Amino acid sequence: MQLKREEGGVRHRLIAASCALLSASAGRAEEAPNTGIERALSDWSLESALAYYHEDGRVQAIEPVVSVSKAYGDGASIGLNLTFDALSGASPNGASPSRTPQTFASPSGKSFTGGKHSYAIAPGDLPEDPHYSDLRAALGADWTLPLERLLTANFGAKFSYEDDFYSGSVNALLARDFNEKNTTVSFGASYEADSLHPIGGTPVPLTNYALFEKTGDQSKDGTGLLLSLTQVMSRNWLSEVNLSVDRFTGYLNDPYKIISVIDAAGDVRGYVYENRPDSRTRRSVYLDNRVAWERSSAGVSLRYMTDDWGIHSETVQLHLQWWTAERDKYVQPTLRWYRQSAADFYTPWLYTAPDLSSASSDSRLAALQALTYGLKYGIKLRDKLGRESSEFNVRIEYYQQTQENGLPGPGALRGLDLYPDLKAILVQIGFRY
Amino acid sequence: MSIRCGGVAHTTARNSPAGPLVVEERTRDLYAASFSAMASPCEVLVHTSNRGHALELGNVIAREAWRVEQKYSRYRDDSVLAWIHSNRGDRISVDSETASLLDFAGHCYKLSDGRFDVTSGVLRRAWQFDGSDRVPDKATIESLLPLIGFDKLRWQSPELLLPLDMELDFGGIGKEYAVDRAYDLAVAHRSDPFLINFGGDLRTNRSPPDTPWQVGIERPDTEREAALVLALERGALATSGDSRRFLLKDSIRYSHILDPHSGWPVPNAPRSVTVAASSCTEAGLLATLAMLQGAQARRFMEAHQVQHWILE
Repeated sequence: MQLKREEGGVRHRLIAASCALLSASAGRAEEAPNTGIERALSDWSLESALAYYHEDGRVQAIEPVVSVSKAYGDGASIGLNLTFDALSGASPNGASPSRTPQTFASPSGKSFTGGKHSYAIAPGDLPEDPHYSDLRAALGADWTLPLERLLTANFGAKFSYEDDFYSGSVNALLARDFNEKNTTVSFGASYEADSLHPIGGTPVPLTNYALFEKTGDQSKDGTGLLLSLTQVMSRNWLSEVNLSVDRFTGYLNDPYKIISVIDAAGDVRGYVYENRPDSRTRRSVYLDNRVAWERSSAGVSLRYMTDDWGIHSETVQLHLQWWTAERDKYVQPTLRWYRQSAADFYTPWLYTAPDLSSASSDSRLAALQALTYGLKYGIKLRDKLGRESSEFNVRIEYYQQTQENGLPGPGALRGLDLYPDLKAILVQIGFRY
Repeated sequence: MSIRCGGVAHTTARNSPAGPLVVEERTRDLYAASFSAMASPCEVLVHTSNRGHALELGNVIAREAWRVEQKYSRYRDDSVLAWIHSNRGDRISVDSETASLLDFAGHCYKLSDGRFDVTSGVLRRAWQFDGSDRVPDKATIESLLPLIGFDKLRWQSPELLLPLDMELDFGGIGKEYAVDRAYDLAVAHRSDPFLINFGGDLRTNRSPPDTPWQVGIERPDTEREAALVLALERGALATSGDSRRFLLKDSIRYSHILDPHSGWPVPNAPRSVTVAASSCTEAGLLATLAMLQGAQARRFMEAHQVQHWILE
């Protein structure tokens, strides 16, 4: 261009125009919170979620969660979270289906009215206590602080309360970075103490359900150790290996679970309360790989767990995540496959006069496989200044569990669905501010 | 019982607002926070022994880059720009930030005698700088010229009337503006030496003790290979160039720098012009104005006593 003005003029005018533009924006930045309280709160992030869980024909649960956390500039952070659970519906009591109607007394309990309930189960149906309900409140705290340049400590504590169960736990983790922070080795330990106050007393294991023999409160406690190695493999690939072991001792039974006692003809002769060993040691290996690209990421994790109850389990989980070009929305499909073998003492029923040290018909201890399909969708929201300020997300998971067919039912049990499948759906709505 | 593993949280920022923000230690006391925004790789280098400082600066800067991108993106239908376009032909009142940008665009339009024009984006309907040989025909270009001209807008801050068929595009200043905005927020947070780099547009508060920031300027036709390395102690650097955006037909290379007067690429424009100035917006504008001078780019820079580097 032929400059109409003197040569230096353009530059000065440009400087003036740039200054006007940038100082105008600096003024806007002050619209950000500036009072003491607003500034203090603006550093906190708040996460809340409401989950609804529904098992096909069984229990449903509503679970609101609120957590707040604050990250300090020096790498320290603290967090607090509060969870409520309201569970209600029908829960299997452990007994087998039968050709004849079965009548049970609810452990009087677990109901708000406090009165005794009894319930009848139609021939062929899986016995479930229809009055099952439970409320749980849990409070957790978490504190991370850097000890020195390459060393970080994390402490946590948690307490949860139910009508019939209190639980407290603490944990500590030390993480050390190596190799220009491409490698992190962590070592953690935890301790948990639980106290059980079953409604109507604690049943005496393996005694006759009809005799109603009860004892007092029970407790269990557990310790765990974790060793973790996290390695940055490349700019966008992160790999992690965890080894963990934990051991629980004490009263490990489910006080509300019973086992059918049948005879050779497949007819029910009665029920006994279950009994599990009084200690359980679990060991697990966990391997996780995550890869991130510009607008997508993927993860594959594998877990292998084995315990001294004879359960071995494998979990494979895949997840993918895609962001829109504007990075304000994402979608995240997940697929999880789980398989476990049965506990040594798992048995769908007992034959008359059992002489066993341990037995349980809890289907959670049976050989089973499960597939979970999940889809999460998130939207980033903006404040009036146009900043990313919050996220709204919805997660839907569909869980499909199939129990491996175990022993065939003798006599009258033949042809009944003794190992029913389970389908459940989870919907969670989350908001993060 | 739960034991949370600390490892992951240490390598990726928690609560990163959009897309991944990766913080890594490059060498002792030098952290790099990287993310993508405005279709460019973005990076913040922070000289500190404290990873938390780098994470904090990275977060502040990335959020601002994403905010500016969202607000002025041509590619999304909820941007302020899309809202303006959906109200063509009506008088609308824009927010104060958009008003400042329009005022600035008006100044640049006058200073460049109409060669820097935020309404020239309609030429993209004819020109696709994808390295191919698809040079548009003259009639197409001629038909677009009436839709260009900042003086055809009715702009009296904060009221704007964008005529039908016209387009606004802040692409020519958006990235540099985002660097400066992010810079202002960053200096208010931390005093550690840092260098913001949004796809080649840079600004620093100061260099680490003893060593200035080393900035490599890519040779336009060979990606990744630095043609020259500059030392930057403070201020901003911006580059205007056509490394990946050009057309090639009959041995003529058409640069992506279009002259809004003719609708055609500026002839004989340098491959790239890098300018140092106190702000990135200023540096970027000077670099663009120099490109618009074509063969006279060097003379323009010298006449204005601008610190510059030109690759022919």
